[in-house]
Amino acid sequence: MKDEESIIPDKEKTLVFEQEFMPHLDALYNFAYKLTFNEDDAKDLLQDTSLKAYRFINSFEKGTNAKAWLFRILKNSFINDYRKKSKAPSMVDYQDVESYYNSDKGDSSREITIDLRAETVRDKLGDEITIALNSLDVDFRTVIILCDLEGFKYDEMAKILDIPIGTVRSRLHRARNMLKEKLAVYAAQMGYK
Amino acid sequence: MGKLIRWIGRTMSPKSNRCSEEDHCLELARIMLDDESTPENDAYVLKHIDGCYRCFDNFNVEQAIREAVKHTGTNVEIPTEVVEEIREKINVD
Repeated sequence: MKDEESIIPDKEKTLVFEQEFMPHLDALYNFAYKLTFNEDDAKDLLQDTSLKAYRFINSFEKGTNAKAWLFRILKNSFINDYRKKSKAPSMVDYQDVESYYNSDKGDSSREITIDLRAETVRDKLGDEITIALNSLDVDFRTVIILCDLEGFKYDEMAKILDIPIGTVRSRLHRARNMLKEKLAVYAAQMGYK
Repeated sequence: MGKLIRWIGRTMSPKSNRCSEEDHCLELARIMLDDESTPENDAYVLKHIDGCYRCFDNFNVEQAIREAVKHTGTNVEIPTEVVEEIREKINVD
């Protein structure tokens, strides 16, 4: 006997996928690329996300926010699969960073560890803002990408990242401070102070 | 871009006169720019920046950084074969 999940005809599942999910593949791929800085990894992450979305399509409510749902799957895949497997050096656990900055030791001038892979895309992506953004730790980079580039609201970001709205707000505020500080360092290097 | 960098350098400079409400104002201004604010917060920010040049400057820098960030959104083109592979896998599944 078929379980409830398999009662939904494949044809309908494919139709939902085409109509609701396919329009967001481009945004998903770009999000994956901005998280991994690597085309192959972004491709793998996108495929993994797409297959998971298809597998769990029954838990998606048609007409609701498909983009936020897909971004959540991708972010979870990144954390659970890609990031654990990653051999990249200098990955910083967000909780450690947050604890550090919330403590008295948090010094705004301190350089946080930079994901070295950010350097590999410098030439490709260009200007100072991009360099500064890409040098942020992935958790801080992510909130800026979701908010400023993808236009998600705080409540949507809270669902995507699985954190309370208050944490979204404070993480975003901290991320913006870090971005600005990095740009200020650049400004100082250029003699603007 | 050069103008923005100069601007940021000026507002972040320790030599600049800081405002006692600066941090609070900046936090609320960011929420306002994210379109997540309340009318009360908006009123506070607008009234404050009307009389405080430092915070007015901060507000404008925040706006400018957001615009600049939006323009960094250089879209990486999704390879067509990736889309086809996904379609293929889904149809096989």
